[in-house]
Amino acid sequence: MFKKVLIANRGEIAVRIIKACQEMGIRTVAVYSEVDKNAPHVQIADESINLGDPTPSESYLNIAKIIENATKVHAEAIHPGYGFLAENPDFAKACTDTGITFIGPTPEVIRLMGDKIEAKKTIAHADVPVIPGYNGVRQDLSTLLKEGKKIGFPLLVKATAGGGGKGMRIVHAESELEQSIESAKREAKSAFGNDSVFLEQYIDKPRHIEFQILADQHGQVIHLFERECSIQRRHQKIIEETPSPMMTPKLRETMGKAAVAAATTVGYTNAGTIEFMVDGKQNFYFMEMNTRLQVEHPITEATTGIDLVKWQLRIASGMELTMKQKDLTQRGHALECRIYAEDPSNGFLPSIGTLEKVDLPNGPNIRNDTGVETHFHVSPYYDPMLAKLTVNTENREESINKMIWALSHYVVLGVTTNISFLKKVLDHSEFRKGNITTHFINDYFHDWLVTKEGLPLDALIALAVYDSLHTQRQEVVRYKEADPHSPWQHVGRWRMGV
Amino acid sequence: MYNVTVERRENQFFITYDNNEYTVIATELKPGQLSIQLGDRLIKSIISQGDDNKFVFIDGSIFKVKRIELTGRKTTEKKEGNLHSPISGTVVSCKVKEGSPVKKDDVILIIEAMKMEYLIRAPYDGVIKKTYFKEKDQIEIGQLTAEIQKKEDEDGNH
Repeated sequence: MFKKVLIANRGEIAVRIIKACQEMGIRTVAVYSEVDKNAPHVQIADESINLGDPTPSESYLNIAKIIENATKVHAEAIHPGYGFLAENPDFAKACTDTGITFIGPTPEVIRLMGDKIEAKKTIAHADVPVIPGYNGVRQDLSTLLKEGKKIGFPLLVKATAGGGGKGMRIVHAESELEQSIESAKREAKSAFGNDSVFLEQYIDKPRHIEFQILADQHGQVIHLFERECSIQRRHQKIIEETPSPMMTPKLRETMGKAAVAAATTVGYTNAGTIEFMVDGKQNFYFMEMNTRLQVEHPITEATTGIDLVKWQLRIASGMELTMKQKDLTQRGHALECRIYAEDPSNGFLPSIGTLEKVDLPNGPNIRNDTGVETHFHVSPYYDPMLAKLTVNTENREESINKMIWALSHYVVLGVTTNISFLKKVLDHSEFRKGNITTHFINDYFHDWLVTKEGLPLDALIALAVYDSLHTQRQEVVRYKEADPHSPWQHVGRWRMGV
Repeated sequence: MYNVTVERRENQFFITYDNNEYTVIATELKPGQLSIQLGDRLIKSIISQGDDNKFVFIDGSIFKVKRIELTGRKTTEKKEGNLHSPISGTVVSCKVKEGSPVKKDDVILIIEAMKMEYLIRAPYDGVIKKTYFKEKDQIEIGQLTAEIQKKEDEDGNH
C-alpha cells in the first residue's frame, strides 16, 4: 500500500479521500489555491501545498504545478477526486510518466471514454445498446444541421468531451438547431477546450440510471448495483437514490451484466460508472462511462457496506478484489441530496458569500460529506456544491422522511441554498410514488419560488427579538428616557427576498 | 414588506405585527441562536447577520430578509425586463450593436460564470439604445447589460 498520497482536489471530496487515506495509515498531501488556504481539506490533511492563483487553470487544473509538487513531497500516488483533472488523460499520463500512480484507470481508457463518440462505438461492439444519433468526426455546421434534421426533433446536442451538463442543449425544433449547436460548441470550448459535439435522439420519459463498477488489475470486474439519478436541474443531478424505484430484479441483472461487459471490453480498472438512459418501456441505452469516483458514491456505500475510496486505493496499489459478484447484496434504501449555494427560485444561479453559520444534522444513518464550515467564503471560482447529505433506512418511504427531517435541521446561513427546494421535491406526491424522470424539475417546479408563502409570524417574532437584543442597550435606555416615542416603537421593518 | 414593532423589558419582548400583540420571553442560547417562548409554544430560530441581509433559520426553512430604515423608505425601482446580469462572470460575446433592431427573446449578451453560459435576451421588441459590455469584459451581478428603446414606446400604445 502507498505511504503517501496527494489529493488533487478541494471541497467535500478532498476531505472524504483524505479521511479514507488516514484510516488506512496513508499520509496525505492536500493542494489548495489562495482562496482555500483555510479550507477544511487543508486543515485535515497531514501536509499541504499552496498552488497560488485561485483561477482553476492556475491551480487545481495546473498539471505541471501539481506533478512538480507531488514529486517534491515524494507522493507515491495522486487521487484526482471528481471534476478538475479526474478525467483528464494527459494528467493521468503525466503521473505515470513521472513514476506516480494515478488512482484511476489508464490514460488510454480515460481518453477513449472521454471521447463520447468513440466510447459509444466501442461499447456497441460489446452488444450493449446505444442511442441512435450522429457521432461523426465532421463538425462543420452544415453537416451537423443535416444530420440533426435526419435524427428528427426533439434531439440533444452534447459536447463530445462533456459532462455535468456543460455544453448540452435540447433542441425542440429545427429553427433552434443552429443557435443551439453554436452555443453548445462555445460552452464546450470554454469548459473542456474542445468544441466537438454530437447529436442524438431525445428519449421520452427518460430516467438516468447508472451502475457502479469496481475492476481490479487482475481482470476481475464487479458491479455494485444501480443508482437512480433522474432528479436533475440544468442537467446536473441533485437527488440520487438506490435502489431505483423502477428497478426489477430481472432488469437489474440484465443491466448489471451490460455494465460489466462495457467495463470489461475497454479493459477498465479502478472505480467507474456506466450511465444508462432508461425509457418508459424499460429499454436501456448506454450513455457514457465516468472514469472516476462519482459525487453520489455514498448511497452505494450505504447500501452495500463497501468503501469505494478505500477500494480505489487498494486496486491502484495492485491488490485483488476480494468480493465476488454473487456475494454482493444491497440492503435497505439510501438517498443523497446535494446541497448547493444557489437560488432555485432564480434559475438555480450560484450564490456567493460568506457562510455565517453552518450546523449540520446528525443522527443514526445520516452522513454528511462537507468541505465547508462556518466563516468559509463561497467564491465564484469553483462549483457551488457545498456538501452532500446521505441517509439510509429500511425502505424508500422511510429514507424520504428521514431526509426531510435532516434537511429541516440543516443550518447553512449566509448564502442562498437549495435546501427548501430539495424538501419540496422530496415531498412531492409524484416523487413519493417514484414517478420520476429527468424532466421532473422542469415538469413540476418550473416556476417555483421560495418566497411564495411569505415570511411566517414566528420568523418575524424571532427577527424582532434578535434586533432588539443586538442593538446597543445603552442607547436603548437613553432613548427611552429621553423620548417616550422611542425609536424602538418602529424598530423592525423587514422586506423579503431581495 | 412587514411592519413590526418591538419593545423590550429584560427578557420580555412586546411585539406588534398586523394589529396583533405578542408577548414573548426570549433567551439567546448561543450567538444568534434564540429560544422564544410564546404562550405554550416554543419558537427555535437561528439568525445570522450578513453584510446586507439577515438569514433566519426557522422550522427547517431559511429566509433572507433586509431591514429597511424608516428614513430611506424609497421602494427599489423595478428592474426593467431582464436586462440586468443575473450573475457575476465574464462576457463571452455581445450579439447586438447600438442602433440595431431586436425582437423579443433575441440574445443580447452571453455571460459565462462557473463554466456555464447565461443568455441575456431582449424582454421586448425594440432598438438597442446602448450596450455596456463587450467580449471578455467582467460583469457583476445586477449590472445593466444594455438599454433597449421599446417599440411600443415609439407608437405610444402602452
